[in-house]
Amino acid sequence: MIGAGIKRGTAELAVLSILEEGALHGYEMARRIEEQTKGALRFTLAALYPMLYRMEKRGWIRGSWETSANGRRRRCYRLTAEGKKKLSPIRQEWAELFHALRRLTKVSHG
Amino acid sequence: MADWRRLVRRHLSGLGLDSAEQEAVHTELSEHLQEAYEALLREGLPKHDATKRALTLAGDWQDLQRKILMAKKGRDFMQKRLHQLWIPGFLTMTLSTVFLMALQKQRFQPRMVSWSGPGNVLFCIPWLMSLPVFGAIGAYLSSRAGGSRWTVLLASVFPAPALTAAFLLMFPIDLIVEWIIGRQVDFSLVATAILRDGIGWILVPGAALLAGGSLAQFLLSRRLGSRSVAGN
Repeated sequence: MIGAGIKRGTAELAVLSILEEGALHGYEMARRIEEQTKGALRFTLAALYPMLYRMEKRGWIRGSWETSANGRRRRCYRLTAEGKKKLSPIRQEWAELFHALRRLTKVSHG
Repeated sequence: MADWRRLVRRHLSGLGLDSAEQEAVHTELSEHLQEAYEALLREGLPKHDATKRALTLAGDWQDLQRKILMAKKGRDFMQKRLHQLWIPGFLTMTLSTVFLMALQKQRFQPRMVSWSGPGNVLFCIPWLMSLPVFGAIGAYLSSRAGGSRWTVLLASVFPAPALTAAFLLMFPIDLIVEWIIGRQVDFSLVATAILRDGIGWILVPGAALLAGGSLAQFLLSRRLGSRSVAGN
C-alpha cells in the first residue's frame, strides 16, 4: 500500500497521464486510474475534484459539459497544450525520484 | 435508492460559491456518486450495500467542502477570511471577556435596571462603556486586513453572535437536564430569562460594540478617502 503523501504527489501525474489518452469525466478517470494501478491509487471525491479544479485553474486541463446518450450531463476534462507541456517534466521528475529511491534501497540492502 | 443530487446539495450547501458554480459542483459530484452506485449494482451488490460503498467515496463532507472551496477560490481566500474576520472577531471577544472577568474580580456589581415587565435586567456599566473600544479595535484590524464594510462590522460585533449561539445551545440543554432530573419547567420563567439575559448580555453589548465598530469604520473610510484625494 502506498502512503498518503506519495499518493498526493503522484495523483497529478496519474490524472495528466490518463487524460493524455483522451477526454474523460471524473468517475471514469478515477475508475481507469484504479484499474491501471491495480487499486494502488484510489480516489475519493475529496482527492479528485479539488485537484481537477486546481489543475483547471492552472490551465493544464479544460472541463466542458457533455450530455451522454442517456441524457445525463457530465463534465469531461481534456488535456490542454499547457498540460501536455507540463506532463513531460513531471514524468521526468518522478522517474528520477524512483530511480534514486531504487538506488538507495539497493545500497541499504547490499 | 439515494437521491444523490439532494444528498450532495445538502452536505455541500455552504460552499460559498456563486449559484451557477455551486450548482455545477453539485451536479458533477452527484453524477460521480450515481455512476459509482450503478457500477456497484452491476457488480452484484444489493442496493443498501451499494449505497453505503458509494457514500464512502465522499468521506468527510466538511473536508470535501473546504478543499473544493480552497481549490476554487485559492488558498488566499481562506487566509483573507482568517485575517479579516476570525482573528479580529476572536480578539474582540477575548478582550471583552477578559475585561468583564477583571471587573468581576474587582467586585464591580452590575447595575440593575427594572421595568414593569418581566423582571430585572443586569447591566455592567463599566464593561458596556469599554465595548465600543473593543468593537473599534476589531473593526480597525479587520479593515487593515482589507475587510469589506460588512466583514468589518461583523468582526466588531463578533462576541454578540457568538454569545447568541452559546445561549441557544445552553437553554435546550438546561431544559433537557431539568426534564431528566424530574423538575417541572416553568416555560414563562425560561422565556423571561432568555429575554432578560438576551437584552443584558447580547442586545445592548452588541449595540455598544457596533457603535464602536461603526465609528472606527467611518473614521477609517474618511481617512482613506482623504488619502486618495491627496494622491490625486
